[in-house]
Amino acid sequence: MRNLIAFLQRFRVFIYFVLLQVIALSFYFSYISYPKGQFLTSTWAVSGTFLSWENDITKFFHLEENNATLQQENIKLRKNQLSNYVKISSELIKKHDTIYKQHYDFIPGSVINSTVTRRNNYFTLNIGSNQGVGVGMGVFSDKGIVGVVYMTSKYFSLVKSVLSENSNVDVEINPSGLNGLLKWDGQDPQRGSVIGISSDIKLAKNSLVYTRGASGIFPKGIPVGKVEKLIPVEGRPIWNVVVKFAQDYRSIQNVYVIKNLMQEEQKKIESNIPVEDKK
Amino acid sequence: MELIILPVLRFLGVFLLQIFVLNTIEPGFGIHIMIYPLFIAILPFSYNVFSVLTLSFFLGFTIDVFSNTFGLHASAAITMALLRPTLYKYFSPRDGYDILKQPTILDMGFRWHLMTFGTLLLVHHLWFFTLESFRMEEIFTILKKTLLSGGITFILCFILQYIFFKQEKSR
Repeated sequence: MRNLIAFLQRFRVFIYFVLLQVIALSFYFSYISYPKGQFLTSTWAVSGTFLSWENDITKFFHLEENNATLQQENIKLRKNQLSNYVKISSELIKKHDTIYKQHYDFIPGSVINSTVTRRNNYFTLNIGSNQGVGVGMGVFSDKGIVGVVYMTSKYFSLVKSVLSENSNVDVEINPSGLNGLLKWDGQDPQRGSVIGISSDIKLAKNSLVYTRGASGIFPKGIPVGKVEKLIPVEGRPIWNVVVKFAQDYRSIQNVYVIKNLMQEEQKKIESNIPVEDKK
Repeated sequence: MELIILPVLRFLGVFLLQIFVLNTIEPGFGIHIMIYPLFIAILPFSYNVFSVLTLSFFLGFTIDVFSNTFGLHASAAITMALLRPTLYKYFSPRDGYDILKQPTILDMGFRWHLMTFGTLLLVHHLWFFTLESFRMEEIFTILKKTLLSGGITFILCFILQYIFFKQEKSR
């Protein structure tokens, strides 16, 4: 017993250190795998408030840029408006439309805190569960995809960006329509890579990369970037396709969160795939 | 009085600078400037290990909450705080530390500062970037990040100390 006390006396600093280290690391590793605790969500709501104050000031520096991008997007949308089209046939009358049903809903928000140089990069948005944001929803900007919602509080949400280890977005390379997974190696915030494309296929430089829309998180056809070069993977017959992102994540401001209104339906029908066929 | 008020003000200063200025600067090449190890290094000599550890944990955790890193900064900060007393003892002057002096570059000289603070900074950065990647294959990236960020942080801390601190009058 006396030995034990002497031992504790001798190593008390180290024991205290280990205790603190265990607390810190258990927070880190539990949140890196999946956010479940309530404690950090609430502390994080406090920091979100501070960061949105910061954003209230700094957003004025980007006003001109943001206006220009919004204007371009408006022009694009205006082109698609019905009043812009001339009727060529008098037989068809557009009435209350029952052919189309809304598939996706979009929630606008802005980025109030972001990083691009870490191994896993997260963005904080100024919208949260009160605005209808939920965990697992896709996020994109007018130029390209951004990431997937990772955690939400009442008025804020945290987005795990594509600049992280396991973003794994389903993408498609046009015009050949090849499917692959988007990865990021932690080096360059402007470039990612697509893996899973067989090396017997020739891909043209500057082919466009789009989301595939397979998992229902992103609609089909949101731009990701352009193919920059093809690097052969050693020992395996696949390409490592280097993609230059369409969106520069270092200067991201306004984003949209995607709410898939038919997610449940897709999940329900896909749950019918037998387990042994999934592999 | 000075032992309590000064650290509190420094805590706030380091925190505000780190969150609202340095976290928004991203110079590329994987550089991430972390100024807050300076706060841990320049806590008064008279503080014991436990209060240094506790303060470091608290500071690291506060910075974690504001930069979406969930415990990464806290872990690196306490690792650094654990090494602080050992290093300071190893590099102590022949007749011990003058209690009126602070562990800054102005009071202790450049050589002492480079040996202690430089080592602490390297340990801190290495721990931080290793935990962040957590992969053996990325060892060269980790080392590159550590050296580049460490160097820039050291220079920045050097400048900050000359701006904000004044030398203790030697008697």
